[in-house]
Amino acid sequence: MSPEKKTTVANLDAEGITLESVSLWQTTWRRLFKRKSSMVGLAIILIMIFIALTAQWLAPYDPYQVLIGKEEVKMRQAPCIHLLGCPADQPQHIMGLDGNVRDQFSRLLYGTRLSLLVGFSTVTLAIVIGTVLGAISGYFGGWVDTIIMRLMDVLLAFPSLLLAIAIVTVLGPGLINALLAIGIVSIPAYARVVRASVLSVREMDFVSATRALGGNTYEILFGRILPNALTPLIVQGTLGIATAILDAAALSFLGLGAQPPTPEWGAMLGSERNQVFTAPHLVFYPGLAIMIVVLSFNLLGDGLRDALDPRLAHASS
Amino acid sequence: MKRNFFVLLSVFVLASMLLAACGAPAAPATEVAEPVAPAAEEPAAPAAEEPAAMPEFVADKYEAPDCEYGGIIKSIEAVDAYTVKFTLCAADPAFPSKIAFSSFAVQPKEHLEATGGSPLENPVGTGPYQVAEWKRGEELIFKAYDGYWGEKAKATTLVFRWQSEAAARLLELQSGTVDGIDNPGPDDFAVIEGDANLALINRPALNVFYVGFTNTFAPFDNELVRQAIAMSIDRSRIVDNFYPAGSEVASHFSPCAIPGACEGEDWYAFDPAKGKELLAEAGFADGFATKLFYRDVVRGYLPQPGVVAQDIQAQLKENLNIDVTIEVQESGTFLDNADSGALDGMYLLGWGADYPDMTNFVDYHFGAGSSKQFGNKFDDIVVTLKDAASLAMDSDRAPLYAKANDLIKQHVPMIPVAHGGSAVAFKATVEDGHASPLGNEYFAVMGNGGDTFVWMQNAEPISLYCADETDGESLRACEQVTESLLRYEVGGTAVEPALAESYEANTDLTEWTFQLRQGVTFHDGSAFDANDVVASLVLQWDATHPLHKGNTGAFSYWSGLFGPFLNAPAE
Repeated sequence: MSPEKKTTVANLDAEGITLESVSLWQTTWRRLFKRKSSMVGLAIILIMIFIALTAQWLAPYDPYQVLIGKEEVKMRQAPCIHLLGCPADQPQHIMGLDGNVRDQFSRLLYGTRLSLLVGFSTVTLAIVIGTVLGAISGYFGGWVDTIIMRLMDVLLAFPSLLLAIAIVTVLGPGLINALLAIGIVSIPAYARVVRASVLSVREMDFVSATRALGGNTYEILFGRILPNALTPLIVQGTLGIATAILDAAALSFLGLGAQPPTPEWGAMLGSERNQVFTAPHLVFYPGLAIMIVVLSFNLLGDGLRDALDPRLAHASS
Repeated sequence: MKRNFFVLLSVFVLASMLLAACGAPAAPATEVAEPVAPAAEEPAAPAAEEPAAMPEFVADKYEAPDCEYGGIIKSIEAVDAYTVKFTLCAADPAFPSKIAFSSFAVQPKEHLEATGGSPLENPVGTGPYQVAEWKRGEELIFKAYDGYWGEKAKATTLVFRWQSEAAARLLELQSGTVDGIDNPGPDDFAVIEGDANLALINRPALNVFYVGFTNTFAPFDNELVRQAIAMSIDRSRIVDNFYPAGSEVASHFSPCAIPGACEGEDWYAFDPAKGKELLAEAGFADGFATKLFYRDVVRGYLPQPGVVAQDIQAQLKENLNIDVTIEVQESGTFLDNADSGALDGMYLLGWGADYPDMTNFVDYHFGAGSSKQFGNKFDDIVVTLKDAASLAMDSDRAPLYAKANDLIKQHVPMIPVAHGGSAVAFKATVEDGHASPLGNEYFAVMGNGGDTFVWMQNAEPISLYCADETDGESLRACEQVTESLLRYEVGGTAVEPALAESYEANTDLTEWTFQLRQGVTFHDGSAFDANDVVASLVLQWDATHPLHKGNTGAFSYWSGLFGPFLNAPAE
């Protein structure tokens, strides 16, 4: 890739950056690959994405289908797995049935789709807004910086879940509103990260060079500074997905997020929380699913941070 | 921050001082306006000290100056030592059912005076048991009263214990340390039935769970839409799957144990095809979108609110293609919204009986005085219920209630779904173990062959002065000790004589005269007469009565059943 570029691209500064960033991604991947824990995290995430994309073929039942009258089943029936000795004449329900006599396994699979959707979309929302705010704040400084950053400080002063609950209360319960709320709550973290790295990149030589060559603000900020300030954002974003999924599950648990009959993990947990002793499978599996997804994003995020920051990598390995 | 806090605090203090200052002058003002009552009270005092001396009996009389105060009682008087007469402001056919309630039990006048109107732990009654010892937090011990006028208690000692966890109660019963338990968990019903040493007795359900409509909001202003939904909810599917054993699908709004409740036609059979037709006729062939409100509170009539809401949602989608959004509201908000007719859709609510009479069910919901919870009232139902309420005999009222029930079925202000059941469990050796639909199990008739009978309920009684308690756990304890003029039959709801041997009413049901049982003695040995009845009731009725103390002073059942208090402080 580089040799061709060398001949075609005249601007040396740009070339230098390109070269460096390519090698950065390569070394990052190499470092990441060496860490088993982050590879496990990545593998789980890929599996989850696969499940989410193919849920309608993987799920044995429609997640909304009430099975009363369709099969000989009872409310909150314990799991029946043929391989583990459940009589073959009984319908197989790997994770049992929920309070409304729906197949828990199918609901869990569809829940993957929702959780990942919530995780990616809220983080995307927060990153887009947070990056713009942080970049403007870091690049221009002065009173713009003061206003934006104090605003972010105010947002950060609230416990994030509490603020999310307040926002959802105003907007009304629902998955989309919960998603917006979590997105808004996580903006400050990204804004601060971006601002910090913009501040450190802003005074570098290649930026001064672009400025000296007469590049306008837009070009400098989005063409030069931001691409070089993104690495901490990637780490923050990966870890942020885990937090977003957890927050969404918490809101749904409280009845403020996904509304019934949507098969959302937090909502599934919340509606059956009183049956923890009589029907433990109804709280165990959704809880486990949330834990696995959050853990995998955290593992990957940790690995990425170490890989992207050589100093930390040495310190931790 | 701190300064704000102190400012706030001082505002609160000021506000409470103001309130206190405003409240104080209000009381004397009403006392002045009511000179009749205390004057009549005083001369009775010397007479009551010698209740045995019949000729010297000075009868107490207590009378409201007029009926403007809002309650339904005009006067309570002791005509002679063994006759009590109630004069009412309006006809009330349910009066016997109400006066039989355990909050209106009789205690000796002297005892009430001695305890300052709040015999919270030492009630003196006429019942088969008397209080022996109350170890707070541990157990409540009763011993049989030898001088009881009726059939003596089978076990000489009765012990009440309590445990809030259903599983722990069952464990005690299984290990044999208690003879009976209240409310075993629905999941344990099968376990108890499968155990030869235990007996499960279902408690008949004296409540109703319904799906309400507010008929002021489209499309529920259309009767066809309401009828269509009524036919398209499979109610037996809900009861079979989500209710404990002993629950029934509601054939009528009121449970059938109440006289007159199940006159008239049964509710619509499940017929989604017909429902779809009706909905199309109403112009909603493709369904519509609406909301379903509920509060996430477990009640006997609705043991699993969330699950039932989701099942109704699924059924309406499947049968009528109606898209239902479920909305959970906080309990208080929900009730306020329902009462003011502000819920723009359907909602899940229910009702439990206070006293076993039709007026407590249908009049409260559909009568002239009902709230806006179903939107606009249906005039034909209102008129029919008014006619029925003015008649005394169940047999005379029956045809009118049949008509009312048919009208309710036609108009569908709501869909009655279920009468939710619960249960009690005893050792198999217990004789005459029973469950009462009103929750007042009567232990004097139960025997286990030994001297001590142990009962375990959900919670400790709050106090044993049940004039001022509403909690079923307290009422059950009181009912072993004190008695009212009338009582409900053991394990049922029919009213039968207790401290009154007989009663009669005038033709327009505004004067009720009770002939008291003679020779009855209280647990403290004093004799029972008409003045004890007057004293026990009047102190509840008159808010300015010196003995109107109770536990909290709320006396909720009095105001709930007989209307506002006499001399009630202005709000």
